[in-house]
Amino acid sequence: MNRAHAALSAVFPIVLAIALSAVLFFVTGYDVGAVISGVIEGAVTGFGSFWQTLRWSMPLLLIAVGFLFCVRAGEFNIGGQGQMMMGGLGTIVVALLVPGPVCLVLPVAILAGMIFGGLWSFLPGVLKVKLGADEVIVTLMLNFIAVLFVSWITTGPLKDPAVRGETASTPTVDAALRLSSGDGMSVTLLVLIALAVAAAWLIAERTAFGLKLRYVGEAPEAARWQGMKADRLRLWAYVLAGAFAGLAGAFEVLGPNGRLVTGATPTIGFTAIVVTIVGLSRVPGIVLAALLFGGLQAAILFLPIVSDLPSSGLKILEGLIALLITAEFIRRRRGVG
Amino acid sequence: MMSSPTLECTNIDVRFGPVRALSDVSLSLERGQVHAILGQNGAGKSTLARALSGVLVPEAGTLQIAGRDVPFGSAAATQAAGLDIVHQRFALPPGFTVAEALEFASTRKMGGLFYSKRKVEAAWQARLDQAGITVPVSAVLSSLPVETAQAIEIARALVNDAQILILDEPTALLSPETIETLFAQLRQLRDAGVTLIVILHKLKEVMALADTVSILRQGELVLPATPTSELDEDRIRDLMIGGEPSNKAAAQTSVLASGQKDLLTFAHVSSPSKGPEPGLSDVSFSLCSGEILGVAGVEGNGQRALAEVYAGLTQAIAGTIMLQGAEIQNADISARRNAGLRSVPFDRMTEGASLTLPLWENAKSWMSEAFRGATFPFVSLRAMRTEAAAGLDNYGVVYSSVEQPGGTLSGGNLQRVILARELGGDVIAVLAAQPTRGLDFGATAFVWDELRRVRQDGAGVLLISSDLDELFDICDRILVMRGGAVAGVFANTATRAEIGHAMVGGRS
Repeated sequence: MNRAHAALSAVFPIVLAIALSAVLFFVTGYDVGAVISGVIEGAVTGFGSFWQTLRWSMPLLLIAVGFLFCVRAGEFNIGGQGQMMMGGLGTIVVALLVPGPVCLVLPVAILAGMIFGGLWSFLPGVLKVKLGADEVIVTLMLNFIAVLFVSWITTGPLKDPAVRGETASTPTVDAALRLSSGDGMSVTLLVLIALAVAAAWLIAERTAFGLKLRYVGEAPEAARWQGMKADRLRLWAYVLAGAFAGLAGAFEVLGPNGRLVTGATPTIGFTAIVVTIVGLSRVPGIVLAALLFGGLQAAILFLPIVSDLPSSGLKILEGLIALLITAEFIRRRRGVG
Repeated sequence: MMSSPTLECTNIDVRFGPVRALSDVSLSLERGQVHAILGQNGAGKSTLARALSGVLVPEAGTLQIAGRDVPFGSAAATQAAGLDIVHQRFALPPGFTVAEALEFASTRKMGGLFYSKRKVEAAWQARLDQAGITVPVSAVLSSLPVETAQAIEIARALVNDAQILILDEPTALLSPETIETLFAQLRQLRDAGVTLIVILHKLKEVMALADTVSILRQGELVLPATPTSELDEDRIRDLMIGGEPSNKAAAQTSVLASGQKDLLTFAHVSSPSKGPEPGLSDVSFSLCSGEILGVAGVEGNGQRALAEVYAGLTQAIAGTIMLQGAEIQNADISARRNAGLRSVPFDRMTEGASLTLPLWENAKSWMSEAFRGATFPFVSLRAMRTEAAAGLDNYGVVYSSVEQPGGTLSGGNLQRVILARELGGDVIAVLAAQPTRGLDFGATAFVWDELRRVRQDGAGVLLISSDLDELFDICDRILVMRGGAVAGVFANTATRAEIGHAMVGGRS
């Protein structure tokens, strides 16, 4: 299968999902034209819309390029959600509690996020690689633990006394440490993300580690006979996946959110998995897929303003894309067609 | 005495896209003979078998069995006409018991909606006893040794009253002793009037078994059915290879008759057993420079353990392994490879190469650190591709691009890729595990030539093979393994009987 064919096989399920959703909206009596123009306005053309698309693409993109390492190694590490939250926790702890000049605290806070995320992924990595535990179950369960742990932090030790009501959160970080103002994106953040994605691409495609990781994932027996150290490579794949998810958490805290919030972006870690698959496990494809799903997220938030379609309608579209892409992914894996 | 042919096919054409797999093949066979179809890999042997047995439909051609026209493309129609096939990969469901599987495959159903397990088993046991197959019919197929499973496959075809039986490479999975048993069984069937069409690619087996031979080359029948007695091995070889130069390399003997030094020494090495495979038990031997040391033995007698302990995949639990005077039993796989200890694994499709990754990664990924010179810490993919291509060209791999996946190559070509990887660089010793299994003799001769070249260069070769002919042809000494232990080391002037006795034990 050549690359053009591969790209087409990723685009087709998306087109099909859009068509199916359009039929569904039409049959249930919504104005399909208004929905489509609303989505386009919310994701691209509206005032600040594209900025919002970038804002939601950011965490998706970072978690997805991290997940790529595990995909290469043949590991289905679906703990991106928890790794992102633990990363956010590492960052907020440093940002709130460590005194010092911004030029020192800021990098340390970002690094703390990557280390927390990396460790939260190293744990299931060890359980899988060394002890043979099922990584899907372990990473899924660790997501719940991370959510509850962060929830305890934000309602207990680091609770913002000024916040009342449902949403528990920590206090806001010092404005000097923020990477973007308000709740949006900034050029600084864009540059940092571009650097991170470039680093992921270089590690995956241009290092001995990346090449061997791919070999271990595709042909574990042959890799063993050739002396590749599969266990060590796989563990590093987990650590990298966690570090990139942790970086996403760090940027959420220092960027759009400005604090650690319980219940923010509860499904983004799972959508990121779909982003990697839609992106055909290649970095350029992942960038495009992250923009697509980021745009959809922005549209979901915008649509209630201009259309009477409930936002769960677009969630159906998102779900359909995930379902059809996964089917295509499995078909390709099995070598059918 | 002229009798009408039991099988006659004319002008068969098969195409796969632009590739012509068979062109204008006509074959006529008379009753009660063993007919061998010969040809190199990709010559169209299996394609012809599949066309005759109704698995695929040719573009053109006719098929007659016992004087009646049979349509192509229907396995049921060919079975009803009395033709059946035993595939290289067995067709019976592995989780069934022998009786269940045979009942399931039988065209003569014994029961209605319900059946009596006891009755079915009794009926099949009687039939198998009659056929001389001693196996309990309540045994589950997947638990049986491969030669027994094959005998049951043959029985399966015969209970459907097959008069013509096609066997696709029936010896590929068998050990030398069981091959003899199979041949005896086939001769018995022939004497009972069954026509056997056997696809083979080992000449010795053809000469031992077949009454008549036909040869395919690149989809064309270059020799119509001819009695084996009118042919000799050289003639057959020339017909199979065609215009290509005959690949018979002059047998070279050890370059260093005296002054050889020990390269690799195993001293009292033991390793744990893994499942049904025995581990090594107190194995001691030396591999000298400039020699090919053969490892013979019935399969499953510790050859895999030897290879894994050699390569470092399994740790020895006792003993020492010395490479040029340095102890290496605790060194890991990549340290041993870098020290010049290389291996060609048993299964080239899973252990030897990745079928999904491109050729350059198969050739160079394991040593990618060597390609990060100027661009540290990044590797130069261009240098990797260039060097991979040079290696592949050196070993005569037929490929169109280094980007093409390993799985697009034929078995012999893939083995060349593996040889290019394993024999490149500073090699001190090579272990080759069944390196010619399933290869035609053009590819086999290439592998042998390369192993001889390694020997010529002063390195040592350990050749694990279950083919005694191969061992006698190219080895300087032959080590026999039995039950994980060394049962003897023989000069290649030893007789087959001596080696055979050491393989199976008993008096010598």
